[in-house]
Amino acid sequence: MEPVIRTQALQKHFGPIRAVDGLDVTVQAGEIYGLLGPNGSGKTTLIRLLIGLLRATSGWVTVLGQPMPNKPILARVGYMTQASALYDDLSAQENLGFFGAMCSAGQPIGRERVAQVLELVGLTDRANSLVRTLSGGMKQRLSLACTLVHRPQVLLLDEPTVGVDPQLRVAFWAHFRSLAAEGVTIVVSSHVMDEAERCDQLGFMRQGRLLAEGSAAALRSGAGAATLEEAFLHYASREE
Amino acid sequence: MNRKRVVALARRVVRQIAHDRRTVALVIVAPMLMLALGAILFRAEAAVIPLGVVNQDIGMKLPGIGNLAAGQRIIDELAASGAFDLIPLRLEEIDERLRDGSAQGVVTFPADFTVQLLSSPGHRAFLDLRLEGSNPGRSQLIAARITEGAVKAMVGLNRVGATASQPTDGQSESQAVGLPVTVNTTYLYAGSSFDLMDYIAPVYIAFLSFFFVFLLTCVAFLRERSQGTMERLLATPVTRLEIILGYLGGLGIVALIQVAVILLFTIWVIKIHYLGSLALLFLVVALLALVGVGLGILASTFARNEFQVIQFIPIIIIPQALLSGMVWPLEELPGYLRPLAYLMPLSYANRALRDIMLRGLNLTAIWPNLLILATFAIVFVALGALTVRREVA
Repeated sequence: MEPVIRTQALQKHFGPIRAVDGLDVTVQAGEIYGLLGPNGSGKTTLIRLLIGLLRATSGWVTVLGQPMPNKPILARVGYMTQASALYDDLSAQENLGFFGAMCSAGQPIGRERVAQVLELVGLTDRANSLVRTLSGGMKQRLSLACTLVHRPQVLLLDEPTVGVDPQLRVAFWAHFRSLAAEGVTIVVSSHVMDEAERCDQLGFMRQGRLLAEGSAAALRSGAGAATLEEAFLHYASREE
Repeated sequence: MNRKRVVALARRVVRQIAHDRRTVALVIVAPMLMLALGAILFRAEAAVIPLGVVNQDIGMKLPGIGNLAAGQRIIDELAASGAFDLIPLRLEEIDERLRDGSAQGVVTFPADFTVQLLSSPGHRAFLDLRLEGSNPGRSQLIAARITEGAVKAMVGLNRVGATASQPTDGQSESQAVGLPVTVNTTYLYAGSSFDLMDYIAPVYIAFLSFFFVFLLTCVAFLRERSQGTMERLLATPVTRLEIILGYLGGLGIVALIQVAVILLFTIWVIKIHYLGSLALLFLVVALLALVGVGLGILASTFARNEFQVIQFIPIIIIPQALLSGMVWPLEELPGYLRPLAYLMPLSYANRALRDIMLRGLNLTAIWPNLLILATFAIVFVALGALTVRREVA
């Protein structure tokens, strides 16, 4: 089967800095692919390349069979950044309606769908609250809802659980898992190792390159390590 | 109180500002620019006013002196004053010259001017002054200068006329002094009921709506970038053009409501005089508001925060206020400032609005200004769209 996301010899340079330095990544439909690595390892740059916010210096990216950047395909992709990126002076419901309208290619997003995602992230009772009156965790949940509102087939999530409390983090991962079960393909970056355990496939990233790739279990046993953290350090030291 | 802490705070404040090179430049350079501009404008030599002259005065033959022409003497006096550039005209071309601006006023001396002055019972003569009228300050100035010239001429004339006319009618010199010349003023446009506020109001309306729409757009667009929603928008199928048009539509509606309120307030509450069509007035200000939206989107690229938006006021807004003909007519700016004035959208809006409100002109007369405003709007919006692209880099 054709992979949903594929990069080949992907490079992105910012002046002398090689933020992404030759990546070959494939993600299959319904898979949760975790990008794991320290800050500055190129995770965000890779995700921005995948969604087409950046243009590759060389190499190429395809999402759902289309070379990126490609505007129309974005109707089938959901993107969530680390910062909540919402309109403070709109209500939760209005934010959802707006992003829904931006993403919908064919039929508009109905009120039922807005209500449905609000329910999903547990914000039904705050539907009419202005975003600036919501707590940090609520904003993060609303941000996820905005990413999901147009029923995307691909989710690109850049550290979606940074600053999220443990309880909420568990809830988020439960959503991701059930979406994947429905066939949604998810790429998620993190620098929290215990989240990585929940991914189907993992890519260890460092200095714009992939150190190792595989399931959590395979990476651990390949390194002869008890934890993913040890495995990461093992692959990192082997690289040097 | 701990002195060290106060010093540390003060030092921190200075350092923060020093790190922001643009603020440093602004705090130092902007006041100098403003002062220089002010000095240039306030010290600019009073422009020579083009004044048409229709001299029909045939004069009067006086024994021992020959033909005495009082009209010509006044004309000589006006020429000597240096305030006017005198243009001899024929009676039938007066309004045409006023309309095309090649004369700001026209004095007409009737054929019997000298005769009236010297031999009418009251020794009074009338001259006609026709003014363009849309600038009340200018109208007053011209009328005052002409009266002044007439009075000066009379002083000389009385010396000549007294010796010549005394034997004929025995009038004493003192009676002839006073104000023997009455200026009858008529106006091409507007008129004596128009005051300075009527002259300023059109440009005031334009300036206020432009200023607020510009700031509103700048801040709205800046927030879109700084709160991260621009990134999110760009990760959806929405195109740059759609974003810009959406902004134009939304802010355009807000601006139109504002313009409508300003206009109605000015007309009903401030009660300014105006001629011309209200709809046309609305069209010009609406077009200017769109220019403000475009410029705001463009400028917001160069601001990282709201404070830097405020810095645009002395850079973008104040020069427009000074150079767009709000106070100093464009034609009278020093030559090297004029090209700058032509770069300012407000100049064209001001001209169009004055043409409508003070001169009662219609679309056929003001369309070139509207076309230029529309061009400004399109160029700014297009440039603004290009700056959105920069984000995708």
